[in-house]
Amino acid sequence: MILDPSILALMLGSILVSLMLLYASCFGIQILRNWDISSGSELQLALERKTYLISTLISYAFGFQLLSLFLFIYTADDLCRLFVGAMCEAGTLMVNNYGYPALILKIFNFIASGAWLILNYTDNRAQDYPLTRAKYWLLLIIAPFILYEAIVQCMYFLELHPNVITSCCGALFSTEENGLGSGLASFPIMPMKIIFYSALSALIANGIYFYRAGGKSGYLFFFLGAGMFIVSVEALISFISLYIYELPTHHCPFCILQGEYGHIGYLLYGLLLVGSVSAVGIGALMPFRKKGSLENILPGILRKLTLISMIAYVIFGIIATWQIIFSNLRLESY
Amino acid sequence: MMIESRDVKKIFNIDKPNQFIALNGISISIPANRLTVLKGPSGSGKTTLLSIIGCMARPTSGRVLLFEREITSLPERFLADIRRKTFGFIFQQFNLIRGITSLENIMVPAYPGGEPISLLKKRAMTLLENFGLGKKADIGIEWLSGGESQRVAIARALMNDPSVIIADEPTAHLDTGLSHEFMDTMQRLKNDGRTIIIASHDPIVFASEYVDGVIEMRDGVVAGPDLQ
Repeated sequence: MILDPSILALMLGSILVSLMLLYASCFGIQILRNWDISSGSELQLALERKTYLISTLISYAFGFQLLSLFLFIYTADDLCRLFVGAMCEAGTLMVNNYGYPALILKIFNFIASGAWLILNYTDNRAQDYPLTRAKYWLLLIIAPFILYEAIVQCMYFLELHPNVITSCCGALFSTEENGLGSGLASFPIMPMKIIFYSALSALIANGIYFYRAGGKSGYLFFFLGAGMFIVSVEALISFISLYIYELPTHHCPFCILQGEYGHIGYLLYGLLLVGSVSAVGIGALMPFRKKGSLENILPGILRKLTLISMIAYVIFGIIATWQIIFSNLRLESY
Repeated sequence: MMIESRDVKKIFNIDKPNQFIALNGISISIPANRLTVLKGPSGSGKTTLLSIIGCMARPTSGRVLLFEREITSLPERFLADIRRKTFGFIFQQFNLIRGITSLENIMVPAYPGGEPISLLKKRAMTLLENFGLGKKADIGIEWLSGGESQRVAIARALMNDPSVIIADEPTAHLDTGLSHEFMDTMQRLKNDGRTIIIASHDPIVFASEYVDGVIEMRDGVVAGPDLQ
């Protein structure tokens, strides 16, 4: 099973990314200890030159990190045919104790890597390295999680034994069972609809205000954008999935990835990740909006991120609403 | 001051057996709208210093300030922009591109700017005419005389209307008459409000009446007084 091409790609990729980040972290420590832009010393000039190489290296590593989440999801979904009891990715991830932790780590690292790439993009737009320290601090925070993810992911793939009988998503996300999946699925539909559409409205209203006026409302947008990701995932499990499957009891967040449903899950999760990464990027940049050379650059970048985040969440909202309106399922009694 | 270097060092092949210190702590100031000559024998570090000032190379340590803006720490994409807009280069061998015409040679530095070709042609033609080479516009540079090549090289340096002209041993391959003609041209450019920096060990250059300051270099250090 470990010889599956996508498993090999994921494992090799995560090992390479981990090695690159280890090297970059060592350099990051050197930057944090010795960086002094006012100095013309040999060390400082060498650090200035080397930071381009390292930043480029990390950008590619994090670029792979972003793609690897989708590859992981696809792989886990594809492997379900090999396990008795598994109907989709939900079952494949339950084969051992590392599946769901690996997925959660990958989602966390996706958002963190995205935020780092936004920080790096902004730093490269300015002439005086205004965010160099900040981005290496962030790198040192992210790197252990990426290493941990690589270990957990390897353990997950190495511990995949075809003789294991796993649970299907119907059981994992059943309102009748206990556990996190069931807890998420059993959230009452009407209150969840109200929360989802209220959160989306608040995000759009705040986004439009921040886009036009700027200022500290960016912090609120960050919280709303990050919160919207959680609310949307819960909404997806609680009621959106029911309309997609046209089944009143099927809450699985993974079956929507399958061809039977037009792979709509990839689009929905992609939109949520774009929306959340942009919002988290705004949160990462907000403290620096008054910093010297960034004063002229940052407002444009913040506006662009706000727009991207809003558009992603609005499209998600439109697709969800479309599914609700045009589904053959009616849930009037809920 | 227009250009200032602070303790600039340039070491090639650091920590290798063939390590070479080209510049060893150069601190100089070059005023705007003046003609300054870097004087010194071969190997004194003139060309290295010129290439650092002109943003074509980076120092090993030290800083260079252009109009009080520190430029040595700038990323390459910002440096390329400064290099294109601020500096015009005249090289020892002129470095004209064989196989294309004089007009096309002059237009080359302006291509990355993205201006319409018709505008570039017009500007290049005006420059050629200013240097009395209007009739040679469509002639390949391999058919030009030494003096004509020199004037094409100067015209090319002016294509982006730079505020600083940097010339590295520009008279090395010219006879006495053409060398004097070159200095006359530099004087005209200075009078237009440009700053001229020339590296040369030719007496026709550093002893010229047009020169405002001479910085003497030897073995990678400033050997002589800054005479400005």
